[in-house]
Parts: sequence; structure tokens; C-alpha cells
Amino acid sequence: MKKRLLPILLIVMMLNPLGLLAASQEVNLVSIVTPASRTNQAWDQQGVDNLVATGDEMGFDVDVAENAGYEDITPILQDMTDDGADLIICHASGYQTVCPEYAAQSGVPVVVIENPGAVTEGLISDIETEAQEAAYLAGVLAGLETTSGTVAIVVTGEPPTWNYMTVGFAEGLHSVKPDATLLYVMVGEAAYDDAPGAKRVTETVLAAGADIVFGMGDGAAFGMIQAIREFNTDREPADQARFIDVIGDKSDSEARDFLLTSVLFDYTGAYTSLVGDLEAGTFGSVYTMNVENNGVRLLDPPIPVDKEVLQTVDETRDSIIAGDITVSSIGDAAGMHDRLKELFPEGR
Amino acid sequence: MNVELVITTLLATALLSAVPLALASVGEALGERAGLLNLGTEGMMLLGAFSGFWVALKSGSLGLGLLTGAVIGLVCGLAFGLIAVVVGADQVLLGLGFTLAGGGLTAFLFRESFGSRQPLLAESMGRPFRGVADAVPIVGQAILGQAWFFYLAWIIVAGAALGLKYTTFGLRIRAVGDAPDAVDTLGISVRATRVYAAMCAGTLAGLAGASLSIVEVGFFQPNVTHGIGFIAIALAMLGRWNPTRIALMAILFGMLRGLGSGLQLADVPVQSDFVQLLPYIGVVIALVVTSRGISLPAALGVTWTRRK
Repeated sequence: MKKRLLPILLIVMMLNPLGLLAASQEVNLVSIVTPASRTNQAWDQQGVDNLVATGDEMGFDVDVAENAGYEDITPILQDMTDDGADLIICHASGYQTVCPEYAAQSGVPVVVIENPGAVTEGLISDIETEAQEAAYLAGVLAGLETTSGTVAIVVTGEPPTWNYMTVGFAEGLHSVKPDATLLYVMVGEAAYDDAPGAKRVTETVLAAGADIVFGMGDGAAFGMIQAIREFNTDREPADQARFIDVIGDKSDSEARDFLLTSVLFDYTGAYTSLVGDLEAGTFGSVYTMNVENNGVRLLDPPIPVDKEVLQTVDETRDSIIAGDITVSSIGDAAGMHDRLKELFPEGR
Repeated sequence: MNVELVITTLLATALLSAVPLALASVGEALGERAGLLNLGTEGMMLLGAFSGFWVALKSGSLGLGLLTGAVIGLVCGLAFGLIAVVVGADQVLLGLGFTLAGGGLTAFLFRESFGSRQPLLAESMGRPFRGVADAVPIVGQAILGQAWFFYLAWIIVAGAALGLKYTTFGLRIRAVGDAPDAVDTLGISVRATRVYAAMCAGTLAGLAGASLSIVEVGFFQPNVTHGIGFIAIALAMLGRWNPTRIALMAILFGMLRGLGSGLQLADVPVQSDFVQLLPYIGVVIALVVTSRGISLPAALGVTWTRRK
């Protein structure tokens, strides 16, 4: 695959100085392809909703291909091109190979996730979710709020986005409660929609004593939520478990009674920038979503949390923005596991 | 960490997760013994899961939801049986059609019904033996602390095993799968027997789906079965179409799946890929050790027509 990609990319790079590909263009239709449902209240929905909002603001139409899975999505990309897409957003780190290859072959500009190495002037842009910074804040909040001293991370896979947040959360937890016990359990490889599996695993970590669960699950997150909901039934408030979600805002769902916070993703800033750059002929960059530009942030806790705790979280946020705290940026699974062992050698 | 509580939870979740798998797999086995290869189990489970959840949510009755899932499964089974047996459609294509239609239709209906909301069932099912569960350490809560449907499901599985082995209908099912021409010469309708078997299989698939969404998970979402229907088909074959053997395999599968979580909690240094493979490897090893002389029903997947 790489053998085919390289010569095409070379041709693209040679053409670029001539201004053949980086020319400004009017953007009328932006397409987005997502691996799962656009209504999963998580990664996929957040991407689509934010793109629709950006389209309303900037005046372009949005074409959505959802539930594309992780197989070869080339036919979908071709359909989008045939429908007149000016830009295609490949909304999953699992599309890191197929989308750059398609862009090189078709000449249609694409956006990839967590793949800065693929960035090509005029053709390929990348969105980096520096969510580890907001996850760090969630870790601080969890460390200050846990009463059992045991906190769990439940993941439905180990993609870069989840790994960044896992490390950020663990570092934040360690910064305020280094003696905590951190449990880390993966539901399965690419088990983003495995709600039954997520429920089983969450029940297990709750039995192991976790009173706060940091869950990264997409659609499977509702399995985690249901497990906590059942666990909390007939328990005194002090003995109840709480949940920290990612990406979307579930404060109006059944999780509202025990949702401590969420690491919210907001793509609108990145989408606005990259569509603007495409129109200006400067497309082909890395767009970073971080705490400073509000691309990632913590949801205000829907349940009561002590003011001093919230103040500490706010101060930590200020320190991150000021550069006084640097959160590790580790996307690979092996590096993530090493970092967890380093932080909590006894506590896992 | 309370190790005893963790083991109890792992055991309880493993046993509960084996219920939909066992029901669907026993249903598939009944159909296959009658000569019908139904690759539509996954789709029928999804239809049972959605309809059961919807009725349970709207009515507040979990029992009615389970019944609805079973009835929808029965209707699907009847449709499958009629099309496969009477019309003579290709069973493989028909089954795959049911799976695709079930997945697509339930995703569509879910979105039409709830939009981007994800409702969860507020009711929890009664646990009739919970009071005495603590009397037995570890396994007490895991076995006696379950919801009432858990016990009903295993009674159904046991009933299917006994029915297949000791009743006239069970004998006919086995006979039409192995020697339909011989059955026909006795004046017994091969087609009707196969359609009845398909209805039984569909009912169990629908009930399996409803038990997943209502009893195990507590909600429905598109593709909530996550491939259980296909695992059920494999388990039916690997379990040699014997409901007792299939039930034990389903429990083993559930336990090995739970073992993956246990190993991670214990921080045992094993590759996560290997952990996910454990249940599949374990079931295959168990079957290699226990199975001898395995053979498919002679008329499996073959459309029967009377010889002239």
C-alpha cells in the first residue's frame, strides 16, 4: 500500500510548487465519514454535529456517511467525490492509511485524525486532539473526589485518542493522589459498540472497589453507565460510584445523577480553520484541539462538587495553559502501559 | 481489592452473558437438526432485542417485553421457514438477508423512535433467591442472586434438550434433518416439521435478543448483539446440536470471556489480543478434546422435494 502511495505523494509534492493543488477554492459541500452511528452521543455524533454547526455558520452543506466501520471505505469516499465533495473528513484514526491514499489518487482534499505524518500541502490536513490535557484535569478531579482510593479506567480499545487520555488522566490522578489504586481494563479490540462487554467489565471494576470510572467507550459507554446505575441502586449517596465520560455531553441522559464530568471535544474551531484554509488556498496543516483553544475541556460537573475541588481544577487548567504543567503525549499502547506502570507500580 | 467479590462478579456476569448465547444457539441447533441452516440468527436476535426493549420501556413490564421478543422471533422463524422450505430459497442467502435486514431495520426504528437519545430501562428484574444467596460463599450470589429470567432460560434450554431427545416432535426434527425421504414415506410432512422447527429456532433467537437487551444490558442500541448470533451458530455446530453440550459451551465461553477481565485486573502481563482470543481458543480446545465422530445432519441446508 505504501509502495503505491509514495510515488503519488511525490508527484503531488512536485506539482505543489506550481500552485496546481494549493489553489483557493469555494467550499460548497463537506463530507464526513464516521465508523459508527452519528447518534451515538460520542465520537461520531460529536464530529457530525460540530461539522453541521460549522456548515450552518460558514454556509456549506454537509454529507454524512455513518456506520462505515473499519473496513476499506474507498467506495464510500468515491461516492462522496461523485456527489461533489469539496472536502472529505475521515473521522477516525482507523482511517489513517486509506484516506491519505485516496486523496493522493483522487486529488480530493481530506482530513485525517491523529496522523500528522500524512499532512500534505493542499491535499491532506490532520486534526490532533490534545485531549490528554483535559483528561489530566479529569484525573485531578477524580483524585480529589475518590473516597475509596480506587479509580478505574475502562476502554473499548487502544487507539491513540484513548491512549492520550489514559495517560493524561493517570498523570492528573497521580499529581493529587499518588497512593491511589488505578485499575485499567480494556473491553476488547475496537469494541466501541460492545455495550454488553462494557457493562460486564464495569461491573467487575466496581466490585474491585473503584468508586470513580473513567470510561472511554463511544456507544459502549452506555453499558458502563447502566452498570454504575445498577450498582448505585439502593446504596447510600456516600457509597455510590461516579462516572467520567469522554467526548460528548451526557448530562441530560440517565447518567446525570452520577456523571462527575466529561472530557468534551469541540471540533468546530478546527473545522472552521481548515475549511477557511481550503478556501484561502492554504490547506494542509495540523490543527490541534487543546485546553488553551477550548477544543477540549471539562464539562462542568452536573452533580454537586466541593468548590475548593473545582478551584483546584481551575488552577491546574491555568497552569497547563501557562506551561507550568506539561502533560505527556503518548499515543501508542506500549508507551501508555509503560507510563501507567511508572506512575502506579503497585496500584494496578 | 476484595478478591472474593471480584470472583463472584466475574462468575455472575459470565453466567448471565451465557443466557442469550445458549438460547440462540439451542434454537439454531433445533433448526439445523431439522436440516435448516439459519444464518439469520443475528438479525432475529436484533429484532427480538429491539421489539422487546421497546415494549418493556413503554409498558414498564419486563416480562411483556421478553414475550414480545419471543413472538417477533416466532414470526421471523415462520417467515424463514416458509421461504426456505415452501418457496425453496437458498438458505444461506436467506439467512444473511435476515441478518442484514434485522440490523438495518432495528437501527432505523431505533433512531425513528428515540432520535439521538439513549433510553435505559429503569425497572430491574426481580431476584427470587437473593435472600438465600449469601448462605453460600462466592458462587451463592453468582448463581442464586440472578434475575428470575435467568432460571427460566435454563429451564427452557433443559426443556429443549429433553424435548429433542424424548418426544415425538423431537424425533421428527432429527429425522427430517438426516433422512427426509424416509420420514416422507411414513406419511409425516417434512415441510411442516421443518417450518415448526424454524419457528422454534426463531422464537429462541428472538427471546435471546430480548433477554440481552432487557435482562443483561438494560437497553437497546444498534448492533447491540455484537456478533452473538454468529457465535451461536458456531456453538451449535461445535456443540454437535446437543442442547446440553451447547449450554455448557456457552457457560465456558462466558467464563473465559470474564477471565480476560480478571487477568487484566490482576495485572497479569499478557497481550490484550490474546486475552480477547481466550474464549474462542478455550471452546475449540474443549471441543477437540471432547468431540469424536462429529458429522453434520445429512440434509442440512438442502431444500427437500419429494422424489417421484
